[in-house]
Amino acid sequence: MDRTLEVLTVCGVGMGSSLMLKVTAEDALRALDLPARVEATDVSSARGMRADVVIGQELHTAELGDLAPIVVTITDFLDVDGLASALHERLAAHGLLP
Amino acid sequence: MDLVTDSVTNALVFLADNLFGQVPLLIGLITLAGLLLQRKPVEDVVGGALRAAVGVVILFIGVEVFTGGLEGFQAVLADAVGAAPPAADRSLGDFLGSHGGTIALVLTLAFLAHVVLVRLFTAARYLYLTGHLMFWISTIVVAALVTAAPGAGRPTLVLCGAGVVAAYWTLQPVWMRPLMLRVMPEDRFGFAHTSSLICLLTGWAGRAFGRLEARSTEQLVLPRRLSFFKDVNVSTALVVSVLLLGAVAAAGPDTAADRAAEMDPGLSPWVWALLVGLRFAGGIAILLFGVRMFLAEIVPAFKGLSDRVIPGTRPALDAPTVFPAAPAAVMLGFVAATAVFLLLLGLFAAAGWFTLIPPMIMLFFVGGSAAVFGNAVAGWPGAVLGGALTGVVLAVGQALTWGLLAGTAPELATLADPDWYAIAWLIAGMRPLIGGAAIWAIPVVALVTTVAVLLALGRRERRTAGERTPATESEQG
Repeated sequence: MDRTLEVLTVCGVGMGSSLMLKVTAEDALRALDLPARVEATDVSSARGMRADVVIGQELHTAELGDLAPIVVTITDFLDVDGLASALHERLAAHGLLP
Repeated sequence: MDLVTDSVTNALVFLADNLFGQVPLLIGLITLAGLLLQRKPVEDVVGGALRAAVGVVILFIGVEVFTGGLEGFQAVLADAVGAAPPAADRSLGDFLGSHGGTIALVLTLAFLAHVVLVRLFTAARYLYLTGHLMFWISTIVVAALVTAAPGAGRPTLVLCGAGVVAAYWTLQPVWMRPLMLRVMPEDRFGFAHTSSLICLLTGWAGRAFGRLEARSTEQLVLPRRLSFFKDVNVSTALVVSVLLLGAVAAAGPDTAADRAAEMDPGLSPWVWALLVGLRFAGGIAILLFGVRMFLAEIVPAFKGLSDRVIPGTRPALDAPTVFPAAPAAVMLGFVAATAVFLLLLGLFAAAGWFTLIPPMIMLFFVGGSAAVFGNAVAGWPGAVLGGALTGVVLAVGQALTWGLLAGTAPELATLADPDWYAIAWLIAGMRPLIGGAAIWAIPVVALVTTVAVLLALGRRERRTAGERTPATESEQG
């Protein structure tokens, strides 16, 4: 992929756990050496946004299924390695890895 | 020499009026300092500082819209049951305008003091990182201090406020630790949310139901139709609109018609009720958008700073980080909290005591958290208990605390979590002692208690380690 990856992290109101998830996602994407822009937002706003990847917990991703080509569901907000390997696998499957 | 003193005084007055009194600029500068300290590239520094400043401006606009919707809601609902709407001398908008600078300074100074406490005492263990609550706790503490000591100047408010807030951020994840270990046994992060007291209460009361065994909420199948409710924008708009439509039906025909005509001549009261419900939810959404915008810059800056000063410290995180442990419990707790709150809304209104405002965000996050911990202790009855207790505490807390804050920012009572009520009442409870310098007793007591608790915990942990037994889950926070 020749452009910056657009990533959304979502939670209920978009400033507590999604912000922490944003920090985790940025670390994971850095570990994969992928240029990306990560934004934290709430589920309502997310519906009006475009992204390549949406990351959130199942409570929310269950309803955001068709928002982005890749939706990653997490249970651990601090697991950088787990998120990195999930992202790597899904991005590769969608041909979004360089 | 007089000339020098005069120019120094003038400079300080200028700074007080034009910087510390102007919250967007102050927050922008604090963010700027944080980003510069992290040696971010120039485009990040400029962008981050400006986004933070714009975020504060948006927050203020959201507060105005929210307060407007709230006032219409209270007036018509009170008229419907023949009671008087809650009285208030001032509004949250005025309060943030006059004390916003103090709040920003309390937030910053308290965070630095908190970092020092965590650095000094190993028992403190967790770094508080739930940004929006860092902002709101600073706000409620300043409001309570102003209520307790109306004459106190800004430096006094900043230092006293920062002392109390730093003590709270340090101790809260620690007292939640035993319960957290039941939900998240890995102990990778702490729980930093102002629902903590209701969670503790639920954990304690839930033991009456006996052991968990096979009663976990995660074996329940909840109806999917409830799912739209967890979007707080949707549930706020829906619940407030429906209540207002009911109030219009019950109110005298003139009240609602007058209100509607104020908004737009010829507007039907029914449509007006719907619009006010939407406006109320819209106001909260704008308010949160503003908070999100400045937090997105400040929280990573705080985290960067603390990672450098105290590497390896565990973060204490927002309530939803425990939700994956029991998603069904979250929904059960939210539904129970909302049901109990609405029941009390009807009872309080019928008794003419107070017009409650349904705080859907707090019912979701506090009810959800209490239910997760309740479920860990006693299965689904514990989860329902957590939700029900949340409904009671938020309703009673709102009704009592509105009056306490009537002279500062009463709307805070409708945005509050259980810990806010406890802190506000603890500080206001010191009121008889407060007179001039006595306001200093509040932060001193808070900090001395914090240090004493951390020392005692640290000693016990060393002793336990000496006996070569791993830390047990039963230890008290």
